[in-house]
Amino acid sequence: MYKNFIFSLLIIASVQLFTGCSGCSDNKKSSSGDALTLPDSLITDAPLKLSEEIMNEVIGNISSPVEMAGLFKSSGVEFTQRILNNPDNVSNYVTSYKRALNLGVYSADLGYINTFDKNNVVVSYLLAVKNLADGIRVGQFFDFNQLSRLASSSANLDSLMELSVTSFNKMDSYLREQNRSNVSSLIVTGAWIEGLYLSSAIVRESGDEQLSNRIAEQKNVINILEIILSNYVSEPNFADLVADVEELKKAYAPIKITTELGEPQRIEKDGSLIFIQAEISTVHYTKEDLNNIMNVIEKIRNKIVA
Amino acid sequence: MKKLLFIITISLLFFQPALYAQCGEALKKTALQEMGDAQYIKDFSILLEKSPTEAKTGMIRFNVLLNSRNHYKFNVVNGSMNADDIVMQLYDKDELLSSNLDSGKKYKSFEFICRATKVYQLVFSFTGGQEGCAEAVLSLVKQYSEGQMGL
Repeated sequence: MYKNFIFSLLIIASVQLFTGCSGCSDNKKSSSGDALTLPDSLITDAPLKLSEEIMNEVIGNISSPVEMAGLFKSSGVEFTQRILNNPDNVSNYVTSYKRALNLGVYSADLGYINTFDKNNVVVSYLLAVKNLADGIRVGQFFDFNQLSRLASSSANLDSLMELSVTSFNKMDSYLREQNRSNVSSLIVTGAWIEGLYLSSAIVRESGDEQLSNRIAEQKNVINILEIILSNYVSEPNFADLVADVEELKKAYAPIKITTELGEPQRIEKDGSLIFIQAEISTVHYTKEDLNNIMNVIEKIRNKIVA
Repeated sequence: MKKLLFIITISLLFFQPALYAQCGEALKKTALQEMGDAQYIKDFSILLEKSPTEAKTGMIRFNVLLNSRNHYKFNVVNGSMNADDIVMQLYDKDELLSSNLDSGKKYKSFEFICRATKVYQLVFSFTGGQEGCAEAVLSLVKQYSEGQMGL
């Protein structure tokens, strides 16, 4: 009896070990798509370099609605629904290309709406996102009911933003795992262009310096985006989009970003470490440069939502 | 004795989901809770395992785009079975900018005030090359204006 009991216990313990390991193994699969893992034998003191493959990984946070939201709010400009893409336009987007690009557009619009706490319009945009996500077979990542519930109260603004961003991150990881990075790159491009379009609209109204600088600083991002999209240039419609991005890159050409080296600082505050970067970059541009960039952004955005 | 064995058996059965989830969603949830008041941007799943031919685990690297004048927080939670706490480092190419391993002490998080918009590398590894898993979160603490950047 005692032996049997011990035997049963060992079997249970073995099952525990195996299930524990399978959890790790699944996790490795999911992270391997997101990360470059190097065995020790390959680790050298050589500088880390960005390859095109690795650049693909960075597109996930190229256009963070959270980071744009703060700038929109601090500009002091009032909420304007007319600058957003109309959710009724969803029925016009019948190809995967258009659906993916506009899924990105609506996600940036959603970030803008969340910033201004506009509960009355948020549900129609959530529905637009859900419809387009279903259209490209990634609707499972958006729990429309939960998102709508959060949208019903302004007290849930942070939770709504967090759940929206988490849903987009999960969708992005899934698309990469499924070798659908082309779709992912379209969503990110749509969100990036819309983020700049909304910023441009606010800058035109208020002349806000922080947002103007942010638009100009995107010179560093457009090179990454061009390389990523160029990977798919042989696919229908991508060539046209790459041509648009190249036009925008030309508009960015006069922008100059200089760097100077200050002193790195390390502060320990309330048990947490804070590092202040030594390198300081400054962006230099004229009003005309910025205006040219904003004109091209508006042209590309209007083409995307048409 | 039998009573003790019974308790152990029941405990093993009931705690199975917790062990299974030690590297998954439950850990991510803890990392999100430990993010505090900052605003979530992105999360990272880390799993470092040795292949039969390797003596030590290597590292995992993620690329992140960080914007100038933004104050970021990077926090990490270790899997319950980890033999050692994970090291989280932020690089600009080959230059180490910040780390949760500082003067021999490992912190659960570090904050980084970015002053140059570009792609950075977030690198995770174990000091002794052990196996293990972790979940990390990148969040936004604050955005500064140009005038505030003199700090």
